[in-house]
Amino acid sequence: MSAVATRRETKRRIIPESPIAGPLVTLIGVFIIFSLFVPHFCTLRSVSGIINAAVLTGTVTIGITLLMIVGEFDLSVGSMMAMGAFLYGLYTVENGNPLWALSLALLVPGLMGALNGFILIRTGIPSFIVTLSTMFIYRGIVWLYSGGQMLQTIEQVPIYDVFNGRLDFIADAVQGANFRTAALWFVGLVFLFQYVLVRTRFGNHVFAAGGNVGAAAAQGVNVKRTKLLCFIISGALAGFAGVLLFSQFKTALIATGAGTELTAIASAVVGGALLTGGSGSILGALLGVLIISMLRTGIILLNLPFIPADNFEAIVGVTIVGAAIFNNWVRGRS
Amino acid sequence: MSNGTNETPVVHMENIVKHFGTITALDGVDFTVEKQQVMALLGDNGAGKSTLIKILMGVHTPDRGQIYFEGQPVRINSPRYARAMGIEACYQDLALVNLMSITRNFFLGRELARKIGPINWLSMRKMNDLTRAALADVGIKIRSPAEKVGTLSGGERQSIAIGRAMHFGAKLLILDEPTSALSVAETRKVLTYTLNAKERGLSVIFISHNVRHVYQVADAYTIIRHGRKVGTYAKGELTEDDIADIIAGVREC
Repeated sequence: MSAVATRRETKRRIIPESPIAGPLVTLIGVFIIFSLFVPHFCTLRSVSGIINAAVLTGTVTIGITLLMIVGEFDLSVGSMMAMGAFLYGLYTVENGNPLWALSLALLVPGLMGALNGFILIRTGIPSFIVTLSTMFIYRGIVWLYSGGQMLQTIEQVPIYDVFNGRLDFIADAVQGANFRTAALWFVGLVFLFQYVLVRTRFGNHVFAAGGNVGAAAAQGVNVKRTKLLCFIISGALAGFAGVLLFSQFKTALIATGAGTELTAIASAVVGGALLTGGSGSILGALLGVLIISMLRTGIILLNLPFIPADNFEAIVGVTIVGAAIFNNWVRGRS
Repeated sequence: MSNGTNETPVVHMENIVKHFGTITALDGVDFTVEKQQVMALLGDNGAGKSTLIKILMGVHTPDRGQIYFEGQPVRINSPRYARAMGIEACYQDLALVNLMSITRNFFLGRELARKIGPINWLSMRKMNDLTRAALADVGIKIRSPAEKVGTLSGGERQSIAIGRAMHFGAKLLILDEPTSALSVAETRKVLTYTLNAKERGLSVIFISHNVRHVYQVADAYTIIRHGRKVGTYAKGELTEDDIADIIAGVREC
């Protein structure tokens, strides 16, 4: 009898202890509320719109979440995203070598991430200062590389369809369901990195290095290497977000991606990641970006007089604080 | 030679000197731990206990002096090296990651994994089973190996760190103030685990600033003050009050 009681108790403890419990409840709650009050919200057309709008920030958020779990973050991902978009755009349009374009768009931002990590490890300066500086520096490199010009094309290179093709079979089956391949890439990356985080030695070391640096180092975890790898992955993911962006809009601006770093951090927090490190999940990050994207769509469709679409940022602010308080409360109960 | 054996000591540190800038943390300290001995390392805060242990763990390198491990002269230049020889330390705050499960803590740094391509995939089920079995083996019962360490009591946490060190074949276990934050009942448990470890053939260094925490389990006491060794005493040579006085510097020896 006591065994049954213990098992039930363990179960009760594990459910709220799961890092995605908070964001999942928020997501469902927000969806139900909007479905009740917003006409046409609970349709595949609006749901596909919400998902498509979440893909770019979402890809960046995967990396940011990884960094937040290891106890760091990166403000320069927006600039890296622009770098990825320009590299990919220029090499697909001019040289027409899509593989080379894709590799460069992942490699260069990856190296930029590595430089962030390297400065942090070598100097011990907090990631806020390091990446605030490189955010401006990398934006400057984008400006130099692009010659200060925006990049736009009307060419239809086949690789654009790989990253932003219409999923016609869904659109044919259900009217208005405008799903893009970008969403598949994003969801694929979410599951890949969730799995890497929870089921690999590297993932274990990420949690340990963020949760208790001293204990991790005392057990022989190479904390510096782990952090460096997180910065590199986050950079490459930002570059990939640039690839998705250019495939979709076929335009890259100097200012492309500016502000994405903050929305990504917001999404990671809404998704249950702790700014102090050691806790969070990539699935939570997925839920976080979906919550923010859903709020955006919902608010626009609601068309309230005092919160037009342009004033949406205020809602994001409210959401971050609300989600942080709510997630803390859920965690505290366990 | 509290155990009366003639075996080579597990660890022998000779004339250890360590300066930090202008401060002399250790000034020619000798320190010996015999096989299967519980050696209490006593001293007031700032006496040099931690520095001595960090040198033994490879966190600091001594400016002068020689360390012998099982009779062999060694240069311990990293914690990894110390662990490879069989020295395991359980630090008070640095032992476990509270946000991670018991299993993940138990195997941290030596996870069981299958290598596929460049990625090491964890064998979680196997590690869960082994954690439960290994802790039961040293007399520690847990509810679930998936439970987060942060939900455990201080004594349970300490016991898991000790159980981990025992399981992974430590020859010398270093316990840094393991009972200073614990209740009486939990302290008793940790002392039991310490004796278990000794019975299994381990040597233990038990660091404390309070002799009452170690009096029941220690075979010998080494007392240091202001970076110098005051002396090493066998069990029964001095009373608890004598030792407390020496630590505090009330009495010279």
